[in-house]
Amino acid sequence: MSTAVSATAEPRYPPGDLAIWIFILAELSVFAVFFAAYAFTRMNNPDLFNTYQATLDRGAALINTLALITSSYFVVRAVAAIRVGESLRCARWLWLAILMGLVFLGVKGFEYAHHFGQGITLSTNRFYMFYLSLTFFHFMHVILGLVILLAVALKARKGGYDEREHTGVETGASYWHMVDLLWLILFPLVYVMR
Amino acid sequence: MNTRSAFLRPCTRVYVILIALTFATFAVGELGLSGLTASLLVLASALFKGHLVGDFFMGLHGLRGPWRWVILIWLTLIGGLISLAFTLTP
Repeated sequence: MSTAVSATAEPRYPPGDLAIWIFILAELSVFAVFFAAYAFTRMNNPDLFNTYQATLDRGAALINTLALITSSYFVVRAVAAIRVGESLRCARWLWLAILMGLVFLGVKGFEYAHHFGQGITLSTNRFYMFYLSLTFFHFMHVILGLVILLAVALKARKGGYDEREHTGVETGASYWHMVDLLWLILFPLVYVMR
Repeated sequence: MNTRSAFLRPCTRVYVILIALTFATFAVGELGLSGLTASLLVLASALFKGHLVGDFFMGLHGLRGPWRWVILIWLTLIGGLISLAFTLTP
């Protein structure tokens, strides 16, 4: 009896559609390879990596980290709202999360414009090759995450979710938290550790 | 309402911790702290932040079974690889 109660209290599967978690695992695996490749390539070129890391705008990266963390927290608030059936409140938190995501894209876009204006490309050197490819790959994930959040917010605004059926909100939230999680590793690895 | 509070309160605390650790990481960079110890401390902070996001924001905290550990295993893996590379850096 106590086992049955325990099984009910502690679910076996994470929130959202299980398919998104398979996708998340695949994405995390790809980024793990990227992160390891960066670290081991740096191992053979520490002076080059330290020199060009110093050219990055750490202040912009701080703003972006704060934006993504805050966005993730707003998504948490959206999930909390829909779990008690507050669809409009859920949509409002999602709009705020999307706004924070757009801040990230704007700041990152400004950084890219600055680098490209200086003639920096993927072939400038190994550091910039990793910096541009890693951050741009993540940038594309932010865009995809925003599209997902937008679709979920629009459906929530129309009352498409309620306290009993809100798998879509949790699925979008799980993906967005993964985007945040990846940046939490990328930020110190590329901008700070030397 | 209680259910929502039970979910939100720890997440709000986690949010504050994430913001604080982010400023600490930024400060390490701005102070120009470098070397293996500083790098590994910053990495440990990032891994801890990732663990908090996985457990509380992604909702893995209350699970039973293998899904409970996926993010922690991923963090341990990349943390180990990055630590190894930085430790072996001349």
